[in-house]
Amino acid sequence: MRRYVLKRVVQTILTAWFTVTVVFVLLRLAPGDPAVSYAPPNPSSEQLEAIRREFGLDQPLLSQYWTFLTHLLHGDVGQSFQFRQSALTVVLERLPYTITLAVAAIVITAVLAIPLGVWMARRANTAGELGANIATIAGQSMPDFWIGFVLLIVFAVNLQWFPSSGFTSISSLVLPTLTIVVLQVALISRLVRREMSVNLNASYVTIARSRGVSERRLTWRYAFSNSAIPVVTALGTRFAAMLNGVVIVEVVFRWPGVGQLVVDALERRDLPVIQATVLVTVLLALFVQLAVDLIYPLLDPRVRLGEGAR
Amino acid sequence: MAVLTVSDLVVELITPRGVIRAVDGVSFDIDAGETVTIIGESGSGKSTTAMALLRLLPDDLAVISGSAQIDGQDVVGTRKHIGGIRGRSVALIPQDPMTALNPIATIGQQMVEAIRHAHGSLSKAQARERALELLRQVHLSAPERRVKSYPHELSGGMLQRVLIAMALSTEPRLIVADEPTSALDVTVQAGILDLLLEMQERTGVAVLLITHDLGVARLMSDRIHVMHRGRFVEDGDVEQVVDNPQHEYTRNLLAAIPELGAWDDPEDPDHPDYIDPVAETAAPATDPAAEPAAPTTRPEQAGIPATKGGPRP
Ligand SMILES: Nc1ncnc2c1ncn2[C@@H]1O[C@H](COP(=O)(O)OP(=O)(O)OP(=O)(O)O)[C@@H](O)[C@H]1O
Ligand SMILES: [Mg+2]
Repeated sequence: MRRYVLKRVVQTILTAWFTVTVVFVLLRLAPGDPAVSYAPPNPSSEQLEAIRREFGLDQPLLSQYWTFLTHLLHGDVGQSFQFRQSALTVVLERLPYTITLAVAAIVITAVLAIPLGVWMARRANTAGELGANIATIAGQSMPDFWIGFVLLIVFAVNLQWFPSSGFTSISSLVLPTLTIVVLQVALISRLVRREMSVNLNASYVTIARSRGVSERRLTWRYAFSNSAIPVVTALGTRFAAMLNGVVIVEVVFRWPGVGQLVVDALERRDLPVIQATVLVTVLLALFVQLAVDLIYPLLDPRVRLGEGAR
Repeated sequence: MAVLTVSDLVVELITPRGVIRAVDGVSFDIDAGETVTIIGESGSGKSTTAMALLRLLPDDLAVISGSAQIDGQDVVGTRKHIGGIRGRSVALIPQDPMTALNPIATIGQQMVEAIRHAHGSLSKAQARERALELLRQVHLSAPERRVKSYPHELSGGMLQRVLIAMALSTEPRLIVADEPTSALDVTVQAGILDLLLEMQERTGVAVLLITHDLGVARLMSDRIHVMHRGRFVEDGDVEQVVDNPQHEYTRNLLAAIPELGAWDDPEDPDHPDYIDPVAETAAPATDPAAEPAAPTTRPEQAGIPATKGGPRP
C-alpha cells in the first residue's frame, strides 16, 4: 500500500510537470507577441520592450522556464498579465463555477444514464429498446454547441424560463447542465447497456436464476454490480474531462468558469493564467483518477491496488 | 409418483441461421432416489433439454412444446409454477463451477441467499450456520474460512463442492446436473461423482444427469437415454445399453470411449494412497475403485467403473 501511494504521488508530479512544460513551451513558440495585447494602440518599440521586460518575456526561453520552475516550487505560478494579480488566484476564483457545473452534470448523467442503460439491456430487441437506441445515437451525434444554442433559443430567448447567460441564480445552472447531459447520457447509457448485456447473459446469472433469485436482484445485485467498474471508470473520466473546463458550453452560456477564462486568456495571450489553469485542472483530473482507482477494490474483490482493474 | 415426467418435449431454437429443432420429442421420467442419464455427443441437445425443463431458455430464443411436470407441477405449458419450483424443489449443478457463482459476492453470502430463499423462516445467523453445516457435509476443508472467500479464491473442485452444497441447501426433490465434472481436473472428478452418489443416498433426491462420458453414466445411472440430434435413439438399463447396444450410434459412442485409467490412480484424490498436495478436499475416500468390477465388463471397457447398482463400501 505504501509503495502504491508513493508510486501514485510520483506519477502525479511527473504528469503535472510534463503537461505544464509542454504548455509552457507551446505558448512561447506560438506566433504573436503578448506585449502587443497590453500596449496602447500603435505602440513604439520602446513601449513594447518595456512590457516584455515587465512580463519577463525578454529572457531566453530556457531562463524563462527556469524562473517558472523555481517559482512553481514555491507555489507561485506567476502574475496574470491582464488582471495584475496572482494567476492562481484568478483561476481559483473561477474554479467553483466549473466544479459546480461538472458535479451537476455528472450526477444527473449517472441518475439518468444508469437506469436507461439497465432498462435497454433488460428490454434488448424490443420496440422500446429500439426507440431508446435511436434516441441515444442521435444524442451522441449532435454537436454540443448546437444542442446549447437550441436550448438557449427555445428556453432562454423564446420561453424565457431560464436565464440565457452568466450565473445569477441556481436556475442559471439548468441549461448548461442539460447541454452537457444530453451527450453524456447518450454515451454512458450505451456503455451501461453493453456491460449489462454481457453480465445478464453470463452463466452465473443463469445459475442464480435457477436458484430462484428474483429478476430484480439478478439485475442489480448480480449484473449491475459486476458492471460497476467500467461504468465508474467512464463517469470518472468524463468528470475529470469536465473539470478541465467545459469550454464550448461555458462560452455559449457565458458561464464564468475556467473554460471561459482560458478562452479569454488565450485571446489576450495571458500566458500565466493559461499555465495556472492547466496546472490546476491537471492536478484535479489526476485526483479524480486516483479516487476512481481507490474505489475499484471496493467494487470487485479481484482487484488489488497497483495491479490495474481485472 | 415420478418427480420428473417429460413427454414429447420439443424445443425449437430461433437462431439467426433459422429455426433449429434442438430437442425433437423426448419422453422420460425420474422417480425419487433415481438417477437418469442423458448421454450423447456434443450438440445433440442434452443441455437444451435440461435448460428447457428449468425454463432457463429466454422466450425469444426458444419455443417449447410437449409437456413436463416437476414434482407434479406443469413447467412447459406455463411459466406460472417454475418461479416457485426453482431453488426449492429443483436445483441445478452446472458444468463449469468456475463461472457459476457471482464473482463479487462471498461464498457465504451466496449460500445464505439460497438457503433463505428455500427456507424463508430462517434468520441470517441460522442460515449461516446451515451453510457451514452443508459445506462440512460436502467435505470442504476449513468451511469457516471458505464462507468468507470469494469464488476466485477457490479451485474448480472446491467450487463444485460449494455448488453441490448450495443445490442441497434447498432440499430439492430433483437435481439437474449438466456435465458436473467435465470442466474439472480428472483427479477431482471421481471425488465429485462420489459426493453426488453419497448425497443422493442420504437425501433420496432424483437426479437428471447429463454427460457425454459413458464411464460417468455407468457409475451413476439407473437408466440412460442415448441422445442423437435431439432424439433418444436408445433407452434402458445401463448394463443393457452398454453390453448390448441396439443402435448404430450407440455402438459408435461406445467405441469412441477412451480407456479410463484414472480410476485406480494414486493421483486420484479419493485413492487411499493419495496425499493431497493442496488440501483440496478432506473427503473421506469412498473409493469407486474398491468396488468389485462388474462381471460383464468387456475387455475394451476394463477402465470403466462399476455401475451404480453394485455394492457400495
Ligand atoms: N443459444 C443458442 N443459440 C443457437 N443455437 C444454440 C444455442 N444453444 C444451443 N444451440 C444449438 O442447439 C443444439 C443443441 O445444443 P446443446 O447445447 O443442447 O447440446 P449438448 O448436447 O448440451 O452439447 P454439449 O455436449 O456440447 O454441451 C446445437 O446444435 C447447438 O448449436
Ligand atoms: Mg451441454
